[in-house]
Amino acid sequence: MNVPDISIYYFGAIALVLIGLYAALVKKNLLKILIGLSIMETGVNLLLISIGYVSGKSAPILSEGVGPTQAVDPIPQALVLTAIVIGVATTAMALSAVVLIYEKYRTLNVEEIRRLRG
Amino acid sequence: MNGETILPYLIIVPLFGAFSMPIISLAGRKAREAWAVIISGITLLVGSAVFHSVYENGPMLYTLGAKSPFGKANFPVRIVWEVDLLSALMVLMVTLVAFLAVLYSLGYMKHDTGLDKYYTLILILELGMLGIAITGDLFNFYVFLEIMSIASYALVAFRNDTWEGIEAGIKYMFVGSIASSLVLLGIALLYGQYGTLTMGYLAVKIAQNPTVVAKVALAFFIAGLLFKSGASPVHMWLADAHPAAPSSISAMLSGLVIKIGGVYALARILFSIYGSSVNMKTVGWVIIIFACITLIVGNAMAVIQTDMKRLLAYSSVGQIGYILLGIGIGLAAYGSRTGDIALAGAIYHTFNHALMKALLFLIAGAVIHELGTRNLNELSGLAKTMPKTTFAFLIGAAAIVGLPPLNGFASKWLIYESSAMFNPILATIAVIGTAFCTAAYVRVLYTFFGKPSEKVMNARDPDATMLWPMIILALAIIVMGLFPWQISDKVMIPVAKALENQLGYIATLMGGA
Repeated sequence: MNVPDISIYYFGAIALVLIGLYAALVKKNLLKILIGLSIMETGVNLLLISIGYVSGKSAPILSEGVGPTQAVDPIPQALVLTAIVIGVATTAMALSAVVLIYEKYRTLNVEEIRRLRG
Repeated sequence: MNGETILPYLIIVPLFGAFSMPIISLAGRKAREAWAVIISGITLLVGSAVFHSVYENGPMLYTLGAKSPFGKANFPVRIVWEVDLLSALMVLMVTLVAFLAVLYSLGYMKHDTGLDKYYTLILILELGMLGIAITGDLFNFYVFLEIMSIASYALVAFRNDTWEGIEAGIKYMFVGSIASSLVLLGIALLYGQYGTLTMGYLAVKIAQNPTVVAKVALAFFIAGLLFKSGASPVHMWLADAHPAAPSSISAMLSGLVIKIGGVYALARILFSIYGSSVNMKTVGWVIIIFACITLIVGNAMAVIQTDMKRLLAYSSVGQIGYILLGIGIGLAAYGSRTGDIALAGAIYHTFNHALMKALLFLIAGAVIHELGTRNLNELSGLAKTMPKTTFAFLIGAAAIVGLPPLNGFASKWLIYESSAMFNPILATIAVIGTAFCTAAYVRVLYTFFGKPSEKVMNARDPDATMLWPMIILALAIIVMGLFPWQISDKVMIPVAKALENQLGYIATLMGGA
């Protein structure tokens, strides 16, 4: 196994998670927060995919000359597909809520969207 | 009855019910309401049957995929559902409260539009919680967690013509997404380290080789699930989201979602996956510290609220503190009698609080339905015009404070007793929390029994579909309160033992059919 190759993906994934977390916590615009959350999810997905990656193996699709030993680990790919679908659903919901927020408040700045108190 | 054959119906029935709802709604409003009640009623029956079967015959295992744990290749391709006594108790709790919430919605949501979507979402919410309770696979757990979360985001923002629902919904969504990402990150790390997602195998592998990665993953799980359960430093979303939802949904969110998606999942991961392979004392103390902050902050904030539902939401935060305290002591004093009692108290309180808080939120809903306000200053003298509702509130409030003939007394007593045995300072903190809690509820009762205001004079008790769920919950609280120690000995202590019994959890997995 070629470790240095893999570790690039790990660093990339962790960097994406941190960038996303930074955007979600620091930014004031609702859309930017949402983008941050999406980046964070992508980072986690990349981490999962790179865990299952084996250098030099092919995609886990049953075809000629590709048996179970020549393919990469298929489970993370199935997981990531599921996670992407879940992420799409969450993002779509959040975006529709952002549209409604803009109609009600005429702003996307989280500091002005603070009518709930207590 | 064979438990394994009925277990999948716990998921199939609400799933089918949810997605056939838009078609059934074409036949009109009566058909839709009947369908929602029938589906959640059948789910309640299946849930009770599962609980009965697990209580009689011990834990059950249901496999999707390879039956044998070793499979044809060198790894098994399968997902397992594993139901031990704790899961079964949670299933019973979810199906019961969800059924009552659906029943209550018939009257409460009468004047809203988009009700086919409402009933679809409420069934999906129930389905997600049931899935979390029965699953024995980490990724499957994540999927059900997200099903539950997305349904609850949508339901919090259901009344999208008001700014309140949308604002609370989007806050809940952001916090919930971060928490879910943390949980998924933990799962990814564990899979990368150990190459399996089945909770039982993970327990074996972590015990054989506890690495740093496993501990980092544990930190991610604790962080994510404390977010989801509304523990104190991150409880702000809860106080916004739970009041903004329609009251029947608030009852489910406060009564069930924060427990199943937060506390239950945390207990399952801490005890069944990690168990003795981490330093339980340290992890236990981490949970205890969060618990103490939570129960003081939650109960104290409840005292100063003027919004009735917001008061109840903060009170939920406080009660989550008690449950976490029980789990933390159960972990720190693992294996001793103190630990058993604390854990039994935590589980007992989880069940009790689901009933009490569901009742209180349903009452708040009835008050809003009649008067259109939930500001406590406008509600004085409600006892004159809504006597049944006020009486139900009296029972709920007394139970949540922990007065003797009601169910809250026994569970709180177990938690006090164990914390006093473990560390007297913790018991002091718990009692101070209860003092705040008492103050908050006495204030509401004082308002209800005060001089009637003009507005209140026109109110009356709600009609049958709203009244019956409240009566059933109040009766359950009283009946459970009559047999506190029998329930504790017959159900809660065995449940706590089942949760502590990590080897039993693994053995069920290996010996499964």
